[in-house]
Amino acid sequence: MTKVIKNDRTEGQLTRRSFLQSAMWMSGAVATGLGSWVFPAKWSHAAGPIKVGIATDLTGPIAFGGIPCSRIAKLAIDQINDNGGILGRPLEMYLEDTASNEQIAVGVVRKLVQRNRVDVVLGGITSSMRNAIKDIIVGRGRTLYIYPQLYEGRECTPNLFCTGPTPAQQCDDLIPWLIANGGKRFALPSANYVWPHVLNEYARKSIEDNGGEVVLEEYYPLDQVEYGATVKKIMDEKVDVVFNTVIPPGLGPFIKQLYEGGFLKRGGRLSCVYYDENALNINSPQEMEGLASCLDYFQNIEDPFSAELQAAYQKRHAHKDKVLFSAGSGSTGMYRGVKLWEAAVTEAGAVDRDSVAAALDHAKIANGPGGPSNMVPGTYHCQMNMYIAVAKGGKYEIISKADQVHPKECG
Amino acid sequence: MEGAFQVLFNILSFTSIMVLVVLGLGVIASMMGIFNFAHGEFLLLGGYTAYLFDIWGLPVWLGIAAAPFVVGFVGVVLERTIIHRFYAAPIVAMLGTYAIGLIIRESVRGLISGMYLRVPEPLVGMFSVGDISVSKWRVAVIVITILVVTGSYILLNRTSFGLRVRASLENPELARASGISTSQIYAATFAFGAALAGLAGAMMVPLFSLYADMGLRFLIQGFLAVMLGGIGTFEGPVLGGGVIGAMTAGLPHMVNPILADVLVFVIAIVLVKMKPMGLLAKGRK
Repeated sequence: MTKVIKNDRTEGQLTRRSFLQSAMWMSGAVATGLGSWVFPAKWSHAAGPIKVGIATDLTGPIAFGGIPCSRIAKLAIDQINDNGGILGRPLEMYLEDTASNEQIAVGVVRKLVQRNRVDVVLGGITSSMRNAIKDIIVGRGRTLYIYPQLYEGRECTPNLFCTGPTPAQQCDDLIPWLIANGGKRFALPSANYVWPHVLNEYARKSIEDNGGEVVLEEYYPLDQVEYGATVKKIMDEKVDVVFNTVIPPGLGPFIKQLYEGGFLKRGGRLSCVYYDENALNINSPQEMEGLASCLDYFQNIEDPFSAELQAAYQKRHAHKDKVLFSAGSGSTGMYRGVKLWEAAVTEAGAVDRDSVAAALDHAKIANGPGGPSNMVPGTYHCQMNMYIAVAKGGKYEIISKADQVHPKECG
Repeated sequence: MEGAFQVLFNILSFTSIMVLVVLGLGVIASMMGIFNFAHGEFLLLGGYTAYLFDIWGLPVWLGIAAAPFVVGFVGVVLERTIIHRFYAAPIVAMLGTYAIGLIIRESVRGLISGMYLRVPEPLVGMFSVGDISVSKWRVAVIVITILVVTGSYILLNRTSFGLRVRASLENPELARASGISTSQIYAATFAFGAALAGLAGAMMVPLFSLYADMGLRFLIQGFLAVMLGGIGTFEGPVLGGGVIGAMTAGLPHMVNPILADVLVFVIAIVLVKMKPMGLLAKGRK
């Protein structure tokens, strides 16, 4: 200890200068935020810009969803700015990285709401993230919040609007189809967190109402990668349909082991309601042959507007990496959310929360990913087209389209 | 009968992966006295190497063969520039290697944009005998693990290099006095441990897909395996890896998977409590 007290500066102890340097560096990092970006419009207006806060997971395990979400938000905001903004004012985008970590998210979202004073916040991928940040935004922050990801439903907080699919939208057509095209004996292998638990409640009821039965419902740690025991149970129980809610990283090994265990060879049907084009990268085509998914958008649906949107996204990002604009990541809900909010602000003629929330309650867009959409008044959720698709040879084949499916939430 | 064989094969296959993961961690912990918390990210770099070979249109097996050399080289560079400063302070070494791991992990996450990516198996398909069929690549993993463990054992226990490594660990001053360059030995040992991690990562990535956090779970279980087996021997961590791997794959056949996950840790911690020096408590003879 005496060594530290000695005035020997080569020992690297704290000096006033080094303390001040460290403090300046730290405060600089905290003040500017290492995961923060501001994208102002190329033009301005006397009333100033309308501020849009995007809080999503650009790093950490959920980055696969947050990266395309942030990109499509930027695309939507750029398109609005190119068309003259909203109410004549440009949009300024404030992007914060919630880093797949609820504690970090609370801090950065507070910054968006309290310091940047954004007019709306869009973002959050997981339900735990939504639950962590919603009160900061709509409660203490008195700001509008739009949550874009498909989820388990039951979110009925005023001023919080959900623009992704609900269990009813994903299951009501899919489960009867699975029973008709797979069989009656279902297994529900699931990751152990809120979305699979609540979705499975809905799915089980739907399976039983349609004459099927659940012979296996099991939950796994989120990072489990060995599924030999599960595959054995599925094979022993003569399961016809695996309705999967295991998430990455377990998803890839589970589907591979199921294939190796002979489930597909025996005629089994796989299903996974968040499986989109990005998920096609995880397993080889033969391992997921026949996998059925139900989402609000697939790349090969017949909708000219969706095709244009996909082309615009590809033009900006295809050269960078393999991350696609797809429905499972919340990107479609993000685009829909920005455009529904635009419609609401335009109708309200103001950006204050109460006026915009009142208009957003019944906002409509004629074009969006997958087709038109409108908020169902009083429910904080929106109607949208839903598509059942089946993986064949590493691509999706669209099996059916249901127009403007009701979310059946908060009714 | 087929069912029992499948269960045993699954357990053996996962145990092999665990042993391979623990081997590099154990070599560095036992031979150098530090816990390398960047070990999980060395696995990731191995997997990423195999992935790069695949997207460059080269055979995956070549990527798997190259991975130990690539990661071993990264290990040498890190040891010479950063890690060697930590030898006197094992706790700081844990934090330092964790920080290195974090940097590698987030860099790879940026490179693959946080995606989960498929790497094809070098051996596709199944071996079938009657009603029993097993994945060719899983069989290959088991065989390669046996070869690598045997080879590493011979290298560290039956060669003059191994003798110098052990001498440097047990009495560095005397080793230096006898003309052994302990700093070179430490660099080589660290690189060897990193190379083993690279090989393990490249071999497991076709089974588990490539993602930035792939090393994290294995790091925690590997750490437990080293504690369980005991530090200071070659055999201890390998045995610990075997026990942890067998429990991880075997327990879900008997109990609920969530409970099984917890039980692996509970059983391992109880065993460590009963045998604080590890299952092979006597240490190196």
